[in-house]
Order: sequence, then C-alpha cells, then structure tokens
Amino acid sequence: LQYENLMEASCLELALEGERLCKMGDCQAGVSFFEAAVQVGTEDLKTLSAIYSQLGNAYFYLHDYTKALEYHHHDLTLARTIGDRLGEAKASGNLGNTIESAWKFEEAIVCGQRHLEISRELYDKVGEARALYNLGNVYHSQSKNIGCIGTHDPGEFPEEVKAALQKAADYYEANLIIVTELGDRAAQGRAYGNLGNTNYLLGNFRKAVMFHEQRLLIAKEFGDRPAERRAYSNLGNSFIFLGEFEMAAEYYKRTLQLARQLKDRAVEAQSCYSLGNTYTLLQDYGKAIDYHLKHLTIAQELNDRVGEGRACWSLGNAYTALGNHDQAMHFAEKHLEISREVGDRSGELTARLNLSDLQMVLGLSYSTNNSVLSENQDADYNLHVARSRLGRRHSMENMELVKLTPQKVQNWN
Amino acid sequence: EPLTSRQAAELQSKVVPSKQILHSDNMEMEPETMETKSVTDYFSKMHMGSLSYSCNSKRKNK
Repeated sequence: LQYENLMEASCLELALEGERLCKMGDCQAGVSFFEAAVQVGTEDLKTLSAIYSQLGNAYFYLHDYTKALEYHHHDLTLARTIGDRLGEAKASGNLGNTIESAWKFEEAIVCGQRHLEISRELYDKVGEARALYNLGNVYHSQSKNIGCIGTHDPGEFPEEVKAALQKAADYYEANLIIVTELGDRAAQGRAYGNLGNTNYLLGNFRKAVMFHEQRLLIAKEFGDRPAERRAYSNLGNSFIFLGEFEMAAEYYKRTLQLARQLKDRAVEAQSCYSLGNTYTLLQDYGKAIDYHLKHLTIAQELNDRVGEGRACWSLGNAYTALGNHDQAMHFAEKHLEISREVGDRSGELTARLNLSDLQMVLGLSYSTNNSVLSENQDADYNLHVARSRLGRRHSMENMELVKLTPQKVQNWN
Repeated sequence: EPLTSRQAAELQSKVVPSKQILHSDNMEMEPETMETKSVTDYFSKMHMGSLSYSCNSKRKNK
C-alpha cells in the first residue's frame, strides 16, 4: 500500500510539473513529465484524462498532430468510459481542432458538432461558444483548402468556397452573440478578428474594416500587441481592396512599427513587402523601392528564397516604372534565377517575359545610341515619358478601381 | 514618339503589382482555442502534500 501511495503521488507530481512547464510555454519539457506520469500510471481516471488532454494539447502546439490525435482520442475514450459528459465535450472539441489541422474537415465538423451538442445539453454556455468558434475555424480552413484562395481576389471565389466562408461567418456570429452576453472580451476579440478576415474573403470589405476596428479596440484594451499588429495588418489588406491606398499605407506602417518592437523579422519583412506594393499602387516608386529593398534584405537574412524572388520581381517592376532599365534587368535576372531554383514555373515565365521586354527596350536603345552619355540622356527621356504617361495610367487605374470597388460597395449596403 | 521610348512607355504601363501578391497569404487569423483539463484542481484542494492527498482520494473512491 505504501508503495502504491508513493507511485500515486509521483504520477500527480509529475503531471503537476508538466502542467507548470506547459503554462510557462515550455511544451517540450512539459511533454516529458506528462509522458513519465503516464508511465507511472494512476487509478484516478479523471487525473489520467486530464493528463491525456494536456499531452494532446502540448503535442498540438508542438505541431506533432499524429501524437496530438492519439492522446485526444485516448481522452475521448476515457471520458466516455467514466461517463464524464463535460470531459467528453472538451475531448471532442480538441479532437476536432486536431483533425482540422490534418485537413480532414468532414470529420472535424462531426467532432465540433458533438462538442456543441453536449455543451448545449449541459447548458454550458462557455463550451457552446467555444464549439461555435471551433466550427467557424473548420469552415474557414475548409474554404481555404478548396484551393482557390491564392488565385482569386477576395470576393471573387467559386460558389463552393463562398458557401464555406458564409458558414464560417455564421458560426463566428453565433459565437460573438454568446461571448458578448458572457462579457468575455478576449473571446470577442478573437471572433471579431476572424469575422473580419472571413468578410474580407467574401468581398465585404467595409464590414471587414468594421470588425477589424473592433478587434483593434479590444487588443489595445488588453495591451495585446501581437493582436494589435494583426489587426493593423488585416485593416491594411481591407483598405487595399477598398482602393484606399493611403489608409492602407498608414496601417501597414503601424504593422511595421509593431513588428520591429516585437522583434519579429518575418512579419517585418511581410510589412515592408505590403508597403512596397501599396506605394506601387500609389505610384510612388521611390518609396516602393525602399520598402522592397528592406524586404529583400530580410528575406536574404532569413534564407527565404521564395520571398527573395518576389522582392526581385517587385523591384524589377518598380525600376521599370522609373525607366531605370539596367536595375530592372538586374532584378529580372535574379527573379528568373530564383524562380528556376525554387521550381516556380509561373514566376519563371513572368521573369522571362519581363526580361525579353527589357532586352527589347535596352537592345534598341543600345543600337540607336553607342555612347554612354546618349544612353543616359535616353534614360532621362524615358523617365520624362514615364512621367507624362502617369496621367494616363492613373486614369486607367482609376477605371480599374471603379470596376473593383463601387459595385461591391453597393452589395454591402 | 520614337520607337524606343514608346516601347519603354508600353513596358511601364505593364507595371501594376499583381493583386494576387497583394493578398499573398498574409491574412492573419486569430489563434485556435483548445479545451483544457487540469490535475491542479484536485491537487490545490489539499495543503498537506501528495501522500495524504492520494490516501484521501482513495478513501473517496471507495
């Protein structure tokens, strides 16, 4: 009996240490203690269920979804065995989130629905709200997985994608109603953020702005700077598609500022890239080049070859717009080289087209002018032409935006 | 307009950032929420160390 007591104690102590470590954010160390606790074992099935659940979550955060699935499944089985309905609901929710990460959406929806049903049966409002949020996430991920998110503009996806997004929005809205009743501001913040993104993808950009502004407010309330940064970035994206580029630039600048404060180089790179694109839309190519060069530097530092390729492409475009064809050639060549290296076929094709265009312009200017001096004059002349064309291009782009924006504005009102 | 500058101008007119790039998977979602269970709930009820706890819990289980 004495020995059994000791074993019992050590299982608990190991589990408690695992809990402490996971709470501190050291999931890897936490896992070792939980695994040891499982090895020692316990007669208390509720304790074992809690250990399984936490092991599942720790593996989830460590992105080991196979192991996470295994433990959440153990937890679900155990909760059913001991008739713990609340435990069963929780295990179903976690299982759903884990299955969703493995992109098995139909199964994830079944788990989420079970989480929702049991929570309603137990009049557990908190559980119900969380299940609704999870289901929103599953439908949102499913819409992305249908495979067109990267190739269409927001608001212009196939019906199948829109249907999944609409379902996600419905679940987030239902979640928002409950967490507002409960006065859970943190949960409201999450709902607003994901509602903003879902509406952005549906092409409801005004609505998206409204939700992200709410998200921003709550992030500031909590002093949650990563959430604040997310909101700025998402607001920037929404304003781009509203054609309000100045506003977009403002929000991207705030994103950049916070990314630097938070020392997140990858996000800093993304912000510079977004700013580069925004200034291209504003036709301020000098600023666009500044930001794209900053993006390029960080991409190289992070060994992000895909990002580097994008930076070169953007820089090539911006230098072309300024009529600086030599620099444009340099970056177009680099874009081609990197596209080949990373196996980006469409990037390779784009780079080849850009290069042949540039070679034609340069080739002709070389054949008509054989001195460096006259070449420079030619470059100046090209710049002059570029500026004179701006007026025309500007109105062209306005037409493009007329096509892009007001129609959609009517849809929201 | 000389040929070269016309071509240069045509080239410039192609410079529009790809919209695909503008929203290049940089939309940022909120974190998932996982349900949590804890053994601390049991453990915090006792103040006398784990041995007496496990004895109590055994007594309760019977």
